[in-house]
Order: sequence, then structure tokens, then C-alpha cells
Amino acid sequence: MQLWCSAAGGAAWTWTWQPYLGAWLFVLAIAVAYAWQLRRLGPPTDAAARNRWKIFFAAGLVLLWLALDWPLAALGAGYLASVHMARYLLIALLAPPLLLLGLPAAVFEGLERRPRLMAVLRNLTQPLVAFFVFNVVISVAHWPSVVDLLMSNQLGAFVLDISWLLAGLIFWWPVICPVPKWPRFTPLWKLAYLGLNGILIRPVFLYLLFARFPAYATYELAPPIAGTTALSDQQLAAGIMKLGTALVMVVAMAIVFHEWAKRSRDAVGGPTRAAQR
Amino acid sequence: MRQSRLSRNRWQRAIGALALVFVSGPIAACERRPQNGPDEYRGRVLPEPIEKFDFTLDDTEGQPFNFIEETEGRVTLVFFGYTNCPDVCPIHMANIAAVMRDFPFDLKQQFRVVFISTDPERDTPERIREWLDNFDPSFLGLRGSVEEVNDIAARMGVPPAQRVEVETGDYLVGHSASVIAFTRDDMAHLMYPFGTRQADWAHDLPRLATETWDE
Repeated sequence: MQLWCSAAGGAAWTWTWQPYLGAWLFVLAIAVAYAWQLRRLGPPTDAAARNRWKIFFAAGLVLLWLALDWPLAALGAGYLASVHMARYLLIALLAPPLLLLGLPAAVFEGLERRPRLMAVLRNLTQPLVAFFVFNVVISVAHWPSVVDLLMSNQLGAFVLDISWLLAGLIFWWPVICPVPKWPRFTPLWKLAYLGLNGILIRPVFLYLLFARFPAYATYELAPPIAGTTALSDQQLAAGIMKLGTALVMVVAMAIVFHEWAKRSRDAVGGPTRAAQR
Repeated sequence: MRQSRLSRNRWQRAIGALALVFVSGPIAACERRPQNGPDEYRGRVLPEPIEKFDFTLDDTEGQPFNFIEETEGRVTLVFFGYTNCPDVCPIHMANIAAVMRDFPFDLKQQFRVVFISTDPERDTPERIREWLDNFDPSFLGLRGSVEEVNDIAARMGVPPAQRVEVETGDYLVGHSASVIAFTRDDMAHLMYPFGTRQADWAHDLPRLATETWDE
């Protein structure tokens, strides 16, 4: 049994289910840690908010589990670059904001007793640093020689997945602002931050899209799956990377804008209504 | 006395070794070397080139195909495989086809890709044709008895095909994973193992088309 999904070493693709114990344990550990944290916080003062946190966190965890388990993990690890890229969207761009939205601010109060960790977290989640770290990590983690090296073994595949997840958490932190005490990014800056990431063209995207030959040996030398060629699969992967990222950013910008507009309306409408009463 | 005999033996050995170097040097120099230099190729240059030899198998139309006559003077890539092969065969064929697809017409005409089936039981002529057409309709498919094919494989320096039963009651065929490249001088100078990528084929094939192997 494999703990973490890596390239299958030339075995033909089969729809026979395979367990990945490491992925289950990883997701289960996060779920248990989350439940323990909620329990530590004691009985809810705001039951609706608590339910909302749980729903967000569970949704994030389900997306993470989908990306780390069979069949997506197996297809993405050793057969299709396009699935590899879809997993990246799930792990780095979709699961992290939901996980962060599911964390109550009180969870971070415990961190105040650890000033060094707090300082590292604060520095890493500065918007400029977060933007830089995310894009560098994602560019490096998609570079063909790095992917070929890491995907060939379970430890490497684990490192790649975790690097996506951590980079995603760092990237989304300034947008979600899970610690209310920390300086907050204004909505306008959030829109600029997300918009810039949406339009940013990473060199690795151009390389994957315009390469004459397949860039990833892992997928070029993988047993073929009907209806695809290694190059068309790679171009689809580049499309998923660019359009998928842009779509996620546009949706996030729409949510930020909606929240901003709502808060402005409340701020303007609040006293007026009060005066009318 | 004993000491002097020992030292004389040492001298004899040293002179013998020197003589070997002087004699083997010119012999090595007589080997045919690629004009482009062995480092120019990403395939494995064979230490002993294999001369193209005469054999006849059936093509996918059921017609006899004489290897020497049909491939004379062309760069000929020979691969032993089977159409139910789950991994190596379709990857090699797809990679060669993807690269040759971009070749100008004149360059492409200088190549023959010959697929020799190692599984005559399941690989009917129609099945081979249909499978090869997925990659490139110009690829040639040949079929013969297992004994004939294994004899040809042995003469080309690759291991014979072996049937391997699997649990499902089906079987796989173990076969060489290398593509043998005969050049225009009708000699095989290079082999391409599994792992050869499209960029490698694109690098080597046009060079092979113009290669003259110097004496």
C-alpha cells in the first residue's frame, strides 16, 4: 500500500480503486486538530458563526481530500499533467481560503504565547511577502525538472503537495485576515492583490503552453490514456493553470467587492436609519 | 637469478601491453564513426554496428515485405512490440510520430518506421494497421511467427519476446524496449531505449537522415 501518491513507474492506468493511507491520515489529523481546537474554545457564544466556521472548514477539507486521494492523486501523479494542474487549483487556490474562513479568531490567541512563531507568521503573511512567496513557490513547484524529480517518489510528491498547500494558505491570509487584531488589508488593496495575481503570467505557464515538446518526462513517458497526447495534455494543463487561477481570482474579487459594498452601505445607511427612528 | 627472471617478465608484460595499444589503436580507428561525432546523438551508439539483413514477413495488407528491399537507403527505425502493450510500445510510437509529424515532406520520406509484432496470436494484420494508424498511417506493421520474429530480434541484438501469463487469464508479452535505428548505409548504429523523449527524437532523427558514417 502506498502512503502518498507518486508516479506509478510505468504501470498502465486502471480504474481499480487504491487506498492512500497517508492522505487519509493527513486529512484526519487536520480534522481532529480542528475539532480539538473548537472544543478547547468551550461552548459557543454565537452558534450561527460556529456552524459557518464548521461548514467552511469541512468544505476546505473535502476539497483537500479529493485532491490527495484516488483517483485525482493517482492520475495527477503519474499520468496527466492536466489533472496534476487541477489538483494544484484544489490544493493551493480552493481549499486554503475555505480552511482559513473556517478558523475562529480565538484559535490564534494561543499563538500569542509563542512570539517567534507569531513573528514568522506575521512577516510571511505581509501582502507583498505573501504574493512573492506564493508565486515563487508555485513557479518552482511547477518547473518540469522539479516536478519530474519530486513526483517519482512518495516523499517528493508529499513535499510538492504540502508546498502548494502552505503557499496557498500564505497567499490567502491577507485576503481572509483570520486574526482581526492584526492590521487588515483594505478592500481596495485586496482587489488589487487578487487582480494582479489573476493577470500575472508566470514563465512556467508560457513554457508549458508554447513548448514544442512535452516538458514533463513524468507525463510524456507515462502509459497513455485514450484520447490524449502528452503535448495536448500539457497545453490543457497550462490552460487550467492560467484560466483556473484567473477564475478563482475573479470570484474572490467579486466576493470582496460585494462585502465592501455591503459594509459601505451599512456604514452610510446605519446612522440615517437610526436618525429616522 | 629469480629476481632477474621476475623483472624480465615484468618487461615482457609491459612491452606486450604497449604492443596491444599500438595494434588495437589502428583497429579502433577503423571502426565506423558518425560524422557528427558520437556525442552528437542522444541515442546509444552501438560499439559494433549491425548490418541490415534479409528477411521477409507479412505486412498489414498480408503481402510479403522484404526488409532489405523495402527499406534500402532509408533511415529505418525498427521496434518489436505488440498492440496490447500497455506502456512502452504506445509511448515509443506516439513520441516518434509526434516528432515526425512536424517534419517537412522530403525529410519524412527518408524514414521508415517498422513495427514488428511479438504477439501474432492477437495482433491480426487489421489490428496492427488500426493501432499504427492511431500514431501515423505511414508506419509499417509486420507480422510473422514467434520463432521468426525472435530470430530476427536476436540478429538485431535484442532479447527475444516472452509470453507472461497474468492472473486475469490474459497474458502480456515481454519484449525489448529499444528502438533500433538503421541509417542510410543500411547499418544499425544506434539504439534508443525506453525513456527517449520527443526532444531526443527531434534532435537525432534529422541528423540521422544526413549522417554519413566515416570509415
